[in-house]
Amino acid sequence: MSLPTGIRSYSYSQDMAVFRTRTHWVWLAVLLAFLFTGPLYWSNYWLGVVNLIGITVIAATGLNILTGYCGQLSIGHAGFIAVGAYTSAIMTNRFELPFLVGLISAGGIAGLVGMVFGIPSLRVKGFYLAISTIAAQFIIIWVINHWTSLTGGFVGISVPPASIGGISLVSQASQFYLIMIVVIIVVFLTNNLARSRVGRAFVAIRDNDLAAQVMGINLFRYKLLAFFLGCFLAGIAGSLLAHWTGFMNAENFTMTDSILYIGMIIIGGLGTTIGPILGVLFIRLAQQGITFLSPLLEDTFAMPAGFTTGLGPMVFGLAIMLFLILEPRGLAHRWALIRASYRLWPF
Amino acid sequence: MAEFGQFAITGVTVGMVYALIALGFVLIWKSSGVANLTLGQLVLVFSWFTYGMLVQAGFPVWLGMPLVVLFAVGVGWLVERIALRPLIGQPILSLITVTLGVAFFIEGMVSFIWPKSVAALPRLFPDEPVHVGAAVVSQEYLWAAVISVVLFVLLTLFFKRHRMGIVMRAVADDQMAVQACGIPVAQIFSRSWMFACALAAVGGVLMSSIGGITFGLVETGLKAFSVVILGGLDSFLGAIVAGPIIGLAENVGGGYLTPLTWPGVREIIPFVIIVIVMFIRPHGLFGERRIERI
Repeated sequence: MSLPTGIRSYSYSQDMAVFRTRTHWVWLAVLLAFLFTGPLYWSNYWLGVVNLIGITVIAATGLNILTGYCGQLSIGHAGFIAVGAYTSAIMTNRFELPFLVGLISAGGIAGLVGMVFGIPSLRVKGFYLAISTIAAQFIIIWVINHWTSLTGGFVGISVPPASIGGISLVSQASQFYLIMIVVIIVVFLTNNLARSRVGRAFVAIRDNDLAAQVMGINLFRYKLLAFFLGCFLAGIAGSLLAHWTGFMNAENFTMTDSILYIGMIIIGGLGTTIGPILGVLFIRLAQQGITFLSPLLEDTFAMPAGFTTGLGPMVFGLAIMLFLILEPRGLAHRWALIRASYRLWPF
Repeated sequence: MAEFGQFAITGVTVGMVYALIALGFVLIWKSSGVANLTLGQLVLVFSWFTYGMLVQAGFPVWLGMPLVVLFAVGVGWLVERIALRPLIGQPILSLITVTLGVAFFIEGMVSFIWPKSVAALPRLFPDEPVHVGAAVVSQEYLWAAVISVVLFVLLTLFFKRHRMGIVMRAVADDQMAVQACGIPVAQIFSRSWMFACALAAVGGVLMSSIGGITFGLVETGLKAFSVVILGGLDSFLGAIVAGPIIGLAENVGGGYLTPLTWPGVREIIPFVIIVIVMFIRPHGLFGERRIERI
């Protein structure tokens, strides 16, 4: 953590503070004030977009713990989100349990499922793990599609709106506050997790797992913990997604989404707190831009019929490739450069 | 029994096509250590290109098919040159994810150029079904098996006899030593991508002549992953043996398990096999057990 000139830390707690200077606190206050007054001046449509961004940030943060910090590539994240979404939906719809129970158990069950598919990670890594998570994705979606009595099968399942203490959160604005509070908690906890023993152990495993083991890190425990935490957040995101959309089927959780989540954390920057947020903003806003622009382009330049559907994947595929080749540290690195130049100005 | 024969013959023949596609994966993995997750999308785009050549442009088969293979080789060269070459020496995480980016891009390309979701290739093989014992098999399956076997033999000869093949095996064995002998390793990477794409093209044509061109062809590529996992990532023999096993398990298992479980069980059998192999024997049937050192 680099500080402006002339600022020193006189105690350990000062040294460890996330927000160190008064300027940091002011910016944080401005950001939070802007965010939480958002429903006053955003239209319902854009509130929906922001809600989706919030949910995606939670899921991407989970994947960032697993892939960015611990180095275990997962191409089945959408599958784990689906587990969370369906757990929550079944809990609240079929068993009529309260929303908060659904939310927590969605995280827990998605985490457990993730751990099961993470067990091979002790013996294999890299490509093998990628394939076993792809297998997880397909098996999970297949079970959801065919266990009709529980999940509603191909037709889908309707989910009651979230309600806390008798207050039903139906409108986009009320959902917005719920989602944003969860996002802030998740980002705060993840940021601190990364600086604790657990986070440092994850990074050690990512950089060299044998060396980490020699240094006394229990690989089995920490890898499974990474899978649990990553998939726990996926489950939380899934639960929020389920209650936000109100109706869903397995079509919402395809392998394409799984790849997109990986794209998000790569574009944002692996192993940073701000990375997933920037990556999600990039991808989701690009999606908005494409849905807005492509009909216009299609009309003006007489594009072939597949232009609208094809443009999105092409742009995202290209973005993933370009970021990996040109800026492998992602937008988070750019952001750090901008901050540094602001701090060092006028030099 | 006739039913079993039916399932077994379909399974083994389809499995051979899987093995063919999987060989391309093994080739790239062995020579450059890149895991090619684009396989499914490559199969898809080459099948559509075949459709473009034979149906849309109306070329005869003898002209169309070489063009398809040529196109595949070109795509292989391009992908290696643009996406993989700049990342040589990067961690495996980047190498895997860049192929995912390529996969995404190709998927977009396909829906951009061929917005229809389903199409059929013209008949490449006579449509008279053949009786094998009590089973009735349509000729596509048998032709697929024959073409696969011929290609296996040709590839084996190529890797055993031809100078290029020997160089490729040498690169797979020890890149440093090969570089020291004055052989351009990066060029070999590019060759292996061309080969893999050509194999994916042939596999794609065979698969789509059986089942038509659908988006499901992407899953054919994913099934090739279960073949390489079962056979061992770095073993050609493993891929050739495991292909028919996967095809057999898929068709026989699917045929007999469907009444017992939910319909569509055959779709996930390859993935269940992946998970089982991963738990029991992660290096596969013939793969090399890696001992890692710091």
